[in-house]
Amino acid sequence: MERREEGILSNNIINKDLRKKIIEVVYGAQEGHITSSFSIIDILSYLYENILKFDSKNPSWEDRDYFILSKGHGCVALYVILQKYGFIREEDLKQVSSKNGILGGHPDITKVPGAEASTGSLGHGIATALGVALGLRIRSKHNKVIVLIGDGESNEGTVWESALVGANLKLGNLCCIVDNNGSAAQVLPVPEMQKKWDAFGWETYAIDGHSDQEISDVFSKIKFEHHTKPKVIIANTLKGKGVSFMEGHGAWHAKIPSVDEFESALKELS
Amino acid sequence: MSNLRNDFPKVVHEVGLRDPNLVVLVGDISHYRLQGFAKDCPGRYYNIGICEPTIVNMAAGLSKIGFYPVVHTIAPFIVERSFEQIKIDFCYQKLGGNIITVGSAFDYAYLGCTHHCYNDFALLSTLPNVELVYPASYEELDLLFGQTYNNEFLTYFRAPMYGHEVSFKPSDITIGKAIQVQEGEDLTLVAVGTQLKSAKEAADALKEQGISVDLIYIHTVKPLDAQTIKKSLKKTKKCLVIEEHGIFGGVYDAVLRISQELDEIKCFSISIPNDFIRDYGTYQDFCLKLGFCQGGVLKKIKEEVLI
Repeated sequence: MERREEGILSNNIINKDLRKKIIEVVYGAQEGHITSSFSIIDILSYLYENILKFDSKNPSWEDRDYFILSKGHGCVALYVILQKYGFIREEDLKQVSSKNGILGGHPDITKVPGAEASTGSLGHGIATALGVALGLRIRSKHNKVIVLIGDGESNEGTVWESALVGANLKLGNLCCIVDNNGSAAQVLPVPEMQKKWDAFGWETYAIDGHSDQEISDVFSKIKFEHHTKPKVIIANTLKGKGVSFMEGHGAWHAKIPSVDEFESALKELS
Repeated sequence: MSNLRNDFPKVVHEVGLRDPNLVVLVGDISHYRLQGFAKDCPGRYYNIGICEPTIVNMAAGLSKIGFYPVVHTIAPFIVERSFEQIKIDFCYQKLGGNIITVGSAFDYAYLGCTHHCYNDFALLSTLPNVELVYPASYEELDLLFGQTYNNEFLTYFRAPMYGHEVSFKPSDITIGKAIQVQEGEDLTLVAVGTQLKSAKEAADALKEQGISVDLIYIHTVKPLDAQTIKKSLKKTKKCLVIEEHGIFGGVYDAVLRISQELDEIKCFSISIPNDFIRDYGTYQDFCLKLGFCQGGVLKKIKEEVLI
């Protein structure tokens, strides 16, 4: 087990343009979870830029790597990434949660090219990822499977059922990233997250989920090999990271910015 | 006497031998019965553990990449405990797959209500992209599984502990098609799954009394063969549905809806009351108590249907 104590996260703010786009999408739709998207956007950006194999013109390409967003309410982060890499159009982002749009408050795989699971009800995506990882192993294929869950989502029993099963089956082609933004602590804390996954038999890492360097370092260490321990990265993150008045917990979980707040947020990210 | 818990491993074994995409996941039951499949289909059998929602969800993941998963465990733990995984991970995502349960209705009478499952069809029939199959003989399970296991639906097989002991020509056993067991004029009996046995015995007794029964057998609850039922209702105007299922949301409810399109149809059922059956005993004890037997069917017909 590689341990990194939770501590002060980097003050550096990366991916400002993607954050601006997230705010614009949510403001335009008058619906969405800005802060939950901000806590994962740096991870998603790194994965799609550096780790995942995909073909946006052929989203069901069988040699692709699989990224499953289990915490579906962070989907605006996924949407702006999918648009950046050509899965969906800029126009689609302008129609989030509208009657003619393909993008909703949670992703629907029958509508969204590049979305791998219709998530929203928590605790499902990680078990889907187990099935995908197992299936790839049965076929002796080496596609990576990466699933991102939340620490709040980790209140769900199926997360820990999946933790048991993944370790027991030695699904080493699977990596789970825990967006450890402290949401769980608001109601039902999940203390010592890394120790828990370690105890369940996973190969564990902990990083600052807003540091390109730390994300890069951890993926340089992880080997996606069959019949080894599955991997988990505890990504310590800050909900709302990047806009000072949105950071932390409380009202901004699902709040839509006013005109003034919208402009202030964009200014901070300039 | 047929016990489909013993029979279903043979069925998946045979299909697994010819189709490398068939994968079986179980929730720590039938492990030893499935060792033939495990041996001959290496890497495609998993006794996952006692975590039914995760098993169902994993099966959806397998389906996503082209496998035909079969999930097997006891009915209430799949249907009731894992309902949301069935709804979202299979139906909402439009993924195909298979569930084969044992212990539906009161097959596990002696184990108490935690192990009963009266309303599986009612719950699952609310979901789109689902097929509901109730094979009550080895031949039916074999043929109906073969016809459906690799299609785009989530197909639920309720495998009963006891069969109906009636044989049909293989060509008569088709998904979504009722079987006209015998033709008659005086009343319609709609027998679902295992209860064909009671219905057939009752129909034979009634024949001796000069009452002719139009006997329809249902092995596919969804899609239900409404056309065959409707044709019979038009003819007899009187119907009794016999199903080991709760009074709400089963075939009886579907027949009531069909009857609404016709004039002056009287519909009755022998169903499981909307209550927990808190008794213990055998499956046969429960059948006698609830009227799922020749005597129960005859009593219902004479005291209610033919009045």
